Amino acid sequence: MMKTTQWLVPVTVAALMSAGAAQAKTELHLQRFFGACEAEYGTNTDVSAAEGECGIMTSLINQFDAEHPDIEVKVTTVEWPGYDQLTAQMASRTPPDLVTMHNSVISDYQSRRLILPLDDLLEDAGVSPDEFTSTARAGVTRDGEVFGLPMDTWTMLYHINLDLMAEADLLDADGNPMLPGSPEEMLEMARQFKEKTGKPYLIQILSNETAAYTRLFYTYMFQQEEDFFGNGEAISLQNDAARNIVHHFKTIYDEGLTTKNMDYPATVSAFSSGEGGILMNGNWLLGAYNVESQKPDSELYNAYIAYPYPQLYANDDLYVDGHSWVMPNKKRNKDELAATAAFFKFMAENDYEWSRTGHLPSVEAVLDNPDFQALPYRSDLVSVTTRGKGLPAGVKRQFAIQDIMGEELASAITGVKSVDDALADAEARVNDLLSNL
Amino acid sequence: MSTAQIKRTDWSGFLFILPYLVIFITMIVIPLFWGINLSFQKADLFGPGEFVGFENYARLFNNKIFLQTVGNTFYFVLLTVPVLVVIGLGLALALNKEAPLQNVLRGIFFSSTILSVTVVTLIWRIIFIPNDGLMANIFTQFGWEPIAFLSDPDWSLISVAIATIWWCLGLPMMLFVAALQQIPKDLYEAASIDGANKMQSFLFITLPSLYKTIVLVTIIQIVMQFQLFGQALLMTQGGPNNTSRSIVMFIYDAGFRRWDIGSAAAASQILFLLILIAAMAQFIVTRKKGEQI
Amino acid sequence: MTLSKVDSQLSASPMAPETTFGRIVRFVTGNVGLMTLMILLSLLMLAPALWTIGLSLKSNEELMMGTDAVFSFPYTLKNYLDIFENSHVFGWLVNSLIVSGGMTFGVLAMSSLAGYAFARLEFPFRRTLFVIILMGLAVPEQAVIIARHQIFSELGLHNTHLGLMLPGMSMPFGVFLMTQFFKAVPKEIDEAAMLDHASRLQIFWKVLLPLTLPAQATLGILTFLQSWNDYFWPLISATDQDMFTLTVGIASSQQNFAQSEGLGFLASQAIFSALPIIIVYVIFQKHIVTAVAGGAVKQ
Repeated sequence: MMKTTQWLVPVTVAALMSAGAAQAKTELHLQRFFGACEAEYGTNTDVSAAEGECGIMTSLINQFDAEHPDIEVKVTTVEWPGYDQLTAQMASRTPPDLVTMHNSVISDYQSRRLILPLDDLLEDAGVSPDEFTSTARAGVTRDGEVFGLPMDTWTMLYHINLDLMAEADLLDADGNPMLPGSPEEMLEMARQFKEKTGKPYLIQILSNETAAYTRLFYTYMFQQEEDFFGNGEAISLQNDAARNIVHHFKTIYDEGLTTKNMDYPATVSAFSSGEGGILMNGNWLLGAYNVESQKPDSELYNAYIAYPYPQLYANDDLYVDGHSWVMPNKKRNKDELAATAAFFKFMAENDYEWSRTGHLPSVEAVLDNPDFQALPYRSDLVSVTTRGKGLPAGVKRQFAIQDIMGEELASAITGVKSVDDALADAEARVNDLLSNL
Repeated sequence: MSTAQIKRTDWSGFLFILPYLVIFITMIVIPLFWGINLSFQKADLFGPGEFVGFENYARLFNNKIFLQTVGNTFYFVLLTVPVLVVIGLGLALALNKEAPLQNVLRGIFFSSTILSVTVVTLIWRIIFIPNDGLMANIFTQFGWEPIAFLSDPDWSLISVAIATIWWCLGLPMMLFVAALQQIPKDLYEAASIDGANKMQSFLFITLPSLYKTIVLVTIIQIVMQFQLFGQALLMTQGGPNNTSRSIVMFIYDAGFRRWDIGSAAAASQILFLLILIAAMAQFIVTRKKGEQI
Repeated sequence: MTLSKVDSQLSASPMAPETTFGRIVRFVTGNVGLMTLMILLSLLMLAPALWTIGLSLKSNEELMMGTDAVFSFPYTLKNYLDIFENSHVFGWLVNSLIVSGGMTFGVLAMSSLAGYAFARLEFPFRRTLFVIILMGLAVPEQAVIIARHQIFSELGLHNTHLGLMLPGMSMPFGVFLMTQFFKAVPKEIDEAAMLDHASRLQIFWKVLLPLTLPAQATLGILTFLQSWNDYFWPLISATDQDMFTLTVGIASSQQNFAQSEGLGFLASQAIFSALPIIIVYVIFQKHIVTAVAGGAVKQ
């Protein structure tokens, strides 16, 4: 067996923190994705004036830096998602102090003790895990310990073109779009839409991408109460629940009720130019389409709304993921721990600002914040923070699994192989991966 | 030709290769053996591994996907290398001249090579993608059904190959131009005095003089194209149904996505052997009888 | 320049090999036809680059709605200004110049020395060593990169310029290329110099090296280019933001889905980072076609 690498026992900081202020500035090295935007926000400390993931994140960190004269914040921006770099840094034992990480990736690093539990530090910071939404808390908890400060919860949405829905007679009396409540109803609506508008009901990413189909599949597996991942050590896909989903989306594909062969950027512009009724993509597009819907010359002018994926089966679960700040395993002195705790507190307190990106808040109190409630479309989306869940906490290598799933699902739906073969292959490949960790 | 002996047999020639040899050993030989050692272990990047003998290799040979990537990679090499060599040579012959027009044209044909893989794939995505793409527009103009270049299993790897040929064409052309420049002009003059026509001097002077460069370019291209990675990753992610997944993509996935370093190392050694065999075969087949290196 | 003038220029140098080829083609199309074909082909090659320039002059928001926007006003330099606003960009540019320049110099120096030795000198294990180095050509980067990373960690070479240069300097391609080109130089040239009692180093430095200038220029461009566009090794070795190369740096400043949401910025970065290579190409390209060999033989 592999020898367990040396790792720091999480230090109880309470005693250490009282030891007094530091003489020199404490350096806090943050490593994050979300891009660089120094041009616009390099020195901005007024977060409320910032827009977009990059702008808000940059401004938040600037503000933290300004409010903490004893802490010198150093930021390294990495290309999304940054895990090759992080893994290399950890292999050469030079990780940064804090890193952005997807909740779905936490198990990989946590299981090898490469990141540290935060419970004690959060307590010192005065941030209780109970303040997080249940979904966010579950996203960062492993074996009963909290391994990340959750920033948000994100999910895939139905981005809807209301003009086309009206043309297809799919609006109710209040002008809201009618969404399907079962696979059969979805087919009826999609056929009706196609017949009335001549356009595909769905705009889906089917080329050069694996995430969209996988997330869709997870959502509808959850909704059939299928415990398809068991204890996280093996997947089972050769069942009716899985076949239901694949056959359903295959029918949609075969009948031309969706766009075909589009990659991610193509779908984004196809929706803008009104080439289909519903774009299935993430909540991060909310802001851009909201702006679009206010331009008189846009196809989406006053005709855009977004909802979570509709419930098609027994329950209303949704597949979600989230971004968090995690703490790599390395030696820290008490000042550095205090600086880290202060950063966690600051980020938790400013979660509303981050929720303006389109991501859903991780701090429960933000949901009741009138400013948050006044943001467009959010009232229809808040349920995501309670309905949402990720794969079982112990499932490792979720990015690699997502690739396998997406590839095999696409093969089945586009008819490269039969549904049964694709599900069997996906199951075999995922289980081969998991059994060789 | 004169056989005057200008070579001396002593160790001082060694000094000329010493600087390179030191770098070669530390940067390639030692890491290679280190990698071979890793291929017999079950390991990740964060601690000592466990010796498992040939298990990593056995797993690879039972892995449908890995075998498929080997097939894809060979197919890709066949699609690209001959085309690159032939077009590269043609361009070099047509543009081998110190004149303003040829200078500019050479620059243009080389220009695609300076782009990074991100930009190359960005450009070709927009050419190939349906609805949005250039090819789709052209096909529609002619009233044909647009081909889904990147998501049709029969076309995905061919599309990656087309982008690759466009991107890599500059190197063979440059190598051929440089080689053409080294053919002494006297040879042509002498041939001309002997009454050879241009066709003959092409066949009997130019081609034989380029012989080694053709072998060189072919081997370089084999080595390079066997390592297909960025283009396929960014254009198709290896899809659909793994039809454009290459060995290097498999290695990257195993090593960096799954932290299965042993398996990645084993696949790397197999790739090394495949390249070695392909390059050596090319070298041996084309080497003239009795010629010494 | 008119095409007919090009034609007459081509015919005016009957000894150059391209006119031999040209004659074959002239059989079918005439020489003007060949150059016209070349010009048309070159436009095909160039179109995507022009198109990228077009993209770089458009706002991201407009491009997100579709790339047709390239063909209509307004155009903007904002994407380029955004590059310069990033305080790290010039540091990254300097890093790339140091690494690519250093690597190019190292490769040219070591490959020329080794190439000369393999082509002209006799010493023990010469053939064995050459074959081993040739085999090194077949070693894919993936087969060595993890071990290299571990070794460099031990030696403290990560986040240094040297650590970024060394792996590229080990590529056997240069040695292989230079050996071939030294062998292509007729032995009579060495012999003539030997008669003048030149030392081996003098022969190498003063007589043979200038004759391989086209190969040196080619190798120089290629090495610089490869180093400039290298991505994966700098990504995992230079993890300190101040040590990023331009390639890694500009990739890091892209937002999550740059291909759809920051297309103009991406294109401007591509154009910006290609500029130094274009300059290097122009410098070296002069030397690629110099026809030195013919002149030298007559010395």
